[in-house]
Amino acid sequence: MSYSKEKVDTLLHNGISRRNFLKGLAASGVLSSFPGGLLEANEDLNTKIPYLGEKSYETFRNACPRNCYDTCSIKTFVKDGVMQFIEGAQESTYTRGGCCVKGNSYVKRVYSARRLKYPMLQVGGKGSGQWKRISWDDAMEIIAKKLLEIKKDDGTMLGAALTKYSGNFGITHYGIEGMFNSIGYTTRLAGTPCWPAGIDAQNLDMGNMWCNDPEEMKDSKFIILWGVNPASNSVHSMKYIYEAKKKGAKVVVIDPVFTEMASKSSQYIQIKTGTDGLLALGMQKIIIDAKLHDQKWLDANSKGFKELKEYLDKDIKLDDVSKVTGIPLEMIKELALSFAKAKPATIWMGYGMQRHTNGGSMIRAIDALVAVTGNVGKYAGGARYGHLSTWGFNYAALSMPKPEGSVGYTGPEGAKGEFAHGGGGEKAAYTDRFLNINKTARELLNSKGPKVRLLWVACKNPFSQDFDRNQLIRAFKQLDMVVVADQFFNETAKWADIVLPVATQFEENDVNVSYWHYWLSLNEQAIKPIFEVKSDVQIAALLSKHMNKLEKGSCTFPQSVDTKEMTIKEFNPGIYAQFGIKSWEELKHGPVKAKAVIPYADGKFQTPSGKYEFYSEKALELFGSALPKYLEVRKPYDKFRMTSPHSRWSLHSQFQNLEWMEDVHPEPSVYINPDDAKMKMVNEGDTVAVFNKQGLLRLKAKITDNVQPGTVLMYEQWYNNNIYNVNELVDDTSSDMGAFKTGAPGVALHDTFVNFRKI
Amino acid sequence: MQKAFLVDGSICLGCNTCAMACKNQYHQDTGILWRKVREVGAEDYLIDNNNILPTLVSYQKAPKVTMPIERFYFSLACNHCENPACVAICPVGAHTKDPETGICKHDQTICIGCGGCVKACPFGASKFNAKMGQAEKCSMCWERQADGKTTACVQACPVGAIAIIDLHDPKYKELGTSAPVGIDYAINAETKPSTRFIHPHMPKEIYRQPKG
Repeated sequence: MSYSKEKVDTLLHNGISRRNFLKGLAASGVLSSFPGGLLEANEDLNTKIPYLGEKSYETFRNACPRNCYDTCSIKTFVKDGVMQFIEGAQESTYTRGGCCVKGNSYVKRVYSARRLKYPMLQVGGKGSGQWKRISWDDAMEIIAKKLLEIKKDDGTMLGAALTKYSGNFGITHYGIEGMFNSIGYTTRLAGTPCWPAGIDAQNLDMGNMWCNDPEEMKDSKFIILWGVNPASNSVHSMKYIYEAKKKGAKVVVIDPVFTEMASKSSQYIQIKTGTDGLLALGMQKIIIDAKLHDQKWLDANSKGFKELKEYLDKDIKLDDVSKVTGIPLEMIKELALSFAKAKPATIWMGYGMQRHTNGGSMIRAIDALVAVTGNVGKYAGGARYGHLSTWGFNYAALSMPKPEGSVGYTGPEGAKGEFAHGGGGEKAAYTDRFLNINKTARELLNSKGPKVRLLWVACKNPFSQDFDRNQLIRAFKQLDMVVVADQFFNETAKWADIVLPVATQFEENDVNVSYWHYWLSLNEQAIKPIFEVKSDVQIAALLSKHMNKLEKGSCTFPQSVDTKEMTIKEFNPGIYAQFGIKSWEELKHGPVKAKAVIPYADGKFQTPSGKYEFYSEKALELFGSALPKYLEVRKPYDKFRMTSPHSRWSLHSQFQNLEWMEDVHPEPSVYINPDDAKMKMVNEGDTVAVFNKQGLLRLKAKITDNVQPGTVLMYEQWYNNNIYNVNELVDDTSSDMGAFKTGAPGVALHDTFVNFRKI
Repeated sequence: MQKAFLVDGSICLGCNTCAMACKNQYHQDTGILWRKVREVGAEDYLIDNNNILPTLVSYQKAPKVTMPIERFYFSLACNHCENPACVAICPVGAHTKDPETGICKHDQTICIGCGGCVKACPFGASKFNAKMGQAEKCSMCWERQADGKTTACVQACPVGAIAIIDLHDPKYKELGTSAPVGIDYAINAETKPSTRFIHPHMPKEIYRQPKG
């Protein structure tokens, strides 16, 4: 490879200097419409970068902090302070030297001309597009004054609300919640739009959500990938699935969509959406009738098998199972019996399946299928959903005391979210106020006593990911102040008053674990923050400085922080013991894996009975059914079902907006079954309008029997240069479960119905 | 020795990690991909806007396959031909064929941007960078290989769907075919492309919901 030496020299010496990036920037004053567009950077970094030999680079350990199964361990190569390229860490057998398509775009993400660079104030009001660059001090003073005004007016900080979710799952990012803890009792958008119904289901059944190590799947004899698409969304798990398949295991995909995973399976079974629970119950009945259930394991480890069997005998009719699921009875029988005979066998359940009004009940039914066959607590077995067993950090950044004399909410306290940890032991007189994150718009609009006046958005892009968008605009507009901390000028930023530019993980220190695999990665600061970006905890520190300047003692967050020190504070002896290390410094040599444990192998379940609970009194109390009974899915309210799964080009609203990603995937499509397309006279490439009671989208049609008749598919993504947003069609109807462990029920995203026509 | 890419379409996920890993390593300009993941059944070189139509070798249509869209792929970069058209046509010697490894290298410090290679390559491997006024292409990460590493694409592929093999090594003789299925391709081109393919296939058992 050769290159222009001069260009690379320029790059290395000035590549990230303000001078180069500021070309064409009106450095201050009101910028019209779209800041990102005007801040056109010199694209020197887009020239060819030569590979100079491993020794020519400084290397750093990083981790991908996105909301993803794979949570890659990264090695970053830096030259003269400029990030050159990344590789997956070789030390991790899971990452195995390579990140995914999204991870490999990180260099562009860091140096993208579209990145937010300075604090900005929308001087013309929310949505006006009239922006002005302001200093950090000015930004934080404005926010601090508003917070103190709220406290003075209301006598409490409950008028200040925080919505934060999965934009960055690094442990020190709980410092954002820490920031809100440190100013008093506040309002939090609690719960999770992601996986709550399944979390509740697994907790009701097993007292925990705790999956086997995915690397064990290589030794599984039978794998059912149920509503999960690792070929697209957990590509690092694929090597284990392929290995098992190569060794003779049958890999069955049950999914309403012929997914990327389905195309690589041994058998694909298309099921009618929302009937998976019934299929699982039918399979159990067949297995038990054939006496292939594991009676010994069930006797020793379960509660309520008798009641389950009675329910199956009495209420589950196999002909109905076949009719409702749309799968021939012979095929169901064959599947059930071969699954029961293979040992160890495992089922991996995706998160999409529980985004239905009956989602939790479906996960419970599939858990039961795994348990009935005695595959719970076995190596290479298990009912796989996720785990948080390696997340036992100190959450030091989160655990900030309330300022003296803080007044808060006195209503009943609920759970705060699946990751909520720590935060003091003693029962306080007051608590924070929790609103349902999945009904953000109406919760903000209806908040009373006191009303929410300030909203802080971090690690979240509600306008891309939340529902009921028209209401969301109303909700944002009526707030006194909206602060958005982000890396890009996205749709949520457009409805903000103040935007704060946030550091990438390469510009800060942190520590990361996964909710799927069992590796622990250190994230080191590899480069100096570019422009004026700050990490979330540094923003918190600056806010503290300004609040204390205006009113001493009004904020307990440290007034200056070092992200490295904050990271070190997160480690404890428990983490060290679990991962077999003596100090966090060992992680500088690469990621480490937790000592192997087979979940529930000891037969101990943290359920009330201490056993696997087919019959759960807690479930009866909370959700009206002790058994994993079949629950019918939401009735259609329009002609076609719309499903909006994750795209492989994005992690929710991240990555698809990057220039490099546009090169491999430029635009969205709606996928329509040929039968439906014919009926509607839509041809490949036609622009169609997809609409329902919520909204309307226009996009190009692709005709494919990857989707079944009666269903249209669109991926959820945020494009930089396209107004497409699938969530404009999604309402905020709840799924059945989620309130037990995460504070609020989930959203029945995939129970959305639409119609479409050719334009 | 003739180093070559072995592309396994039977396990390729089409995830484009290889194409992006190449960008990650070399920072190709917007719109340019040295490695492109090509979809079986949907391939059409005529709409590859970074390729000027070939002049030296005529196309031969690949066998037609009917496979579901967006599910089966071949990842393609430079084919590091045994008899490369780019090397033959380059007037300044910017394209060379490494006598030891068989890698076709391009040296941008020498390239005068005449575009001959872009037109000559039957596979569209040489790309024209209008901003720099020069050609560029995959040189099989020869610097990385010289440094004891493998190529960026091979290292990044999560399932090992790309490998580097030596075509002259007898043990690879039977491995793969030079004809990919279902993508418009210059099969049996006189340039003798070195890339070898393992064909994808549908799952053995597929059940779909009946109509209506």
